[in-house]
Amino acid sequence: MAGAFGFKGCQKIRGPQLRNLLEAKDFILFDCDGVIWHGEKAITGAAKVVNSLIRHGKNVVFVTNNCTRPRENYVHKFCRLGFTDVMLEQIFSSSYCSALYLRDVVKICGQVFVIGCDGLRNELQEAGIPCVEEADAPDATIYNCALAPDVKAVLVGHDDKLTFLKLAKASCYLRDPDCLFLATDNDPWHPLSGGRILPGSGSLTAALEVASGRKATVIGKPSRFMFECISSQFRGVDPAQCLMIGDRLEVDMLFGSNCGLDTMLTLTGVSQIEEAQEYRNSELTTNHSLVPDYVVDTIADFLPAFEELDEQSN
Amino acid sequence: MSGSKCVRLTGALVKQVLDSVDSVLFDCDGVIWRGDQAVPGAAQVINLLKEKGKKVFFVTNNSSKTRKMYVDKMTTLGFNVKEEEVFGTAYCSAMYLKTVCKLQGKVYLIGSNAMQQELEAVGIQPTGVGPDHISGKQGDWANVPLDPEVKAVVVGFDEHFSYMKLNRAMQYLSREGCLFVGTNRDTRLPLEGGKAVPGTGCLLQAVETAAQHRAQTVGKPNNFMFDCVASQFGVDPDRCLMVGDRLDTDIMLGSNCGLKTLLTLTGVSTVADAEDHQRSGSAERQGMVPDYYVESIADLLPALQG
Repeated sequence: MAGAFGFKGCQKIRGPQLRNLLEAKDFILFDCDGVIWHGEKAITGAAKVVNSLIRHGKNVVFVTNNCTRPRENYVHKFCRLGFTDVMLEQIFSSSYCSALYLRDVVKICGQVFVIGCDGLRNELQEAGIPCVEEADAPDATIYNCALAPDVKAVLVGHDDKLTFLKLAKASCYLRDPDCLFLATDNDPWHPLSGGRILPGSGSLTAALEVASGRKATVIGKPSRFMFECISSQFRGVDPAQCLMIGDRLEVDMLFGSNCGLDTMLTLTGVSQIEEAQEYRNSELTTNHSLVPDYVVDTIADFLPAFEELDEQSN
Repeated sequence: MSGSKCVRLTGALVKQVLDSVDSVLFDCDGVIWRGDQAVPGAAQVINLLKEKGKKVFFVTNNSSKTRKMYVDKMTTLGFNVKEEEVFGTAYCSAMYLKTVCKLQGKVYLIGSNAMQQELEAVGIQPTGVGPDHISGKQGDWANVPLDPEVKAVVVGFDEHFSYMKLNRAMQYLSREGCLFVGTNRDTRLPLEGGKAVPGTGCLLQAVETAAQHRAQTVGKPNNFMFDCVASQFGVDPDRCLMVGDRLDTDIMLGSNCGLKTLLTLTGVSTVADAEDHQRSGSAERQGMVPDYYVESIADLLPALQG
């Protein structure tokens, strides 16, 4: 949706304008890290915002590239941090969506070799997808490691137990052009609270792309697939009625753009407003897709809008 | 300088080319050996070249051996070679850090024992070699203790590569002024026995992606390895031949340094690959077209024996 100047607005929004925007949207999509919480700490006011949106009849879903937990764990985390109205069906993680992709799009017949943590494996197992067993013989080396038969896909996600042996095996499997190459997401690094970062799935995927000479199909944002998952599970999802709220321009805003959604950047996470402005002023038109339509300092800025709605209905 | 390229080296032309050079640089994997087997005739070629007064050097991107380890392997396979004639990336990376970067401080090393030894031999202390498994929680990893004396991150081939090493490298690189050096970008590493596994290029790409920072690489096709040879032995590029099996590393290095180039077909690249580069309009790709090619370096024997 073009702003007043004929291209995306990057428009700071609050008060009545924000209220109008929220009234016009049926579906609110939230990223999690840096938007509603930082690690184990909810962002001030975020729980109230989410609970209010749900109580006001909005469809609220959570779209996260974080593939380290199964959805059940996310439900517990939401509850722990005060987001009491959130249910399993509202949570879309890249690990859950990877499982859906393998089960429903690929309809995989055969095993999947997973470079990822237990959270990812759990989602695959939940969806009935066979994964190659993890354990290597204690004396297995790159010279003599056993390869599983019938591996039809390699799936790469965040793996803190990554070893060279796993990379070597994965690149062997990928020599078969019929073996799919999937990645949960491409994030090069993940933020933790306090400004610290950790290497992300993107760095592991990059290693395997170099080893195999192939490009991975990315399931998570900014690819469209997670939105397709959402559309197939909720009735009547119209992109024009959706608002995507995130903190990373290259991931969340681009995702929203790719799916034809309005986008909102919140400044409680990774990206700064100066970066958004740089993309807006860029000569490369592809960079304009990273520019948010709207900007808020924090999603707590939604709260006054609800107070007014509540007052009006009283 | 202009004129024909990618010419089959055969007959009288072999002696002509050999007479026009005083030094010959050989790549190793796919040229003089494959895994732990010498290419038939290779040892004789090397030994005869030396007998005829040519200077012979070995220039390899493989960082998993020290110069001494290479000489041991070569001796076993019948090559008559001295340590100072061997230039592997373990040795050259140490030289690069010492002489070009003039590094003061320690190195966080993702690499082999061989790399550790070559660094220590030039007085640079590395930390981090060997297995490094994850323990504790996410918060611990992000707060992993960093040695304040580490002033560079160096990445070479490491079969103990792990998430924890990737993490440490990334954390060091987030510090202002930390140097970042990689041995090479080869995507696959040939092993003894002929198998191939992911190469240093993969590990380097993982660190570069996480750190959002590009490394300076030492190995072919970067000029440094030739500069290393030339500065120690007074090699005249005009009278020097580079022999290799990879167009994007060996031949490119030769072209970049103004050497004559010879592709051997016992390794990675083919004549069709070379002709593709030649036909493309790209100036950069012309650097990957060799002057000459042979099926195997054994094709040089008749001229050397005659």
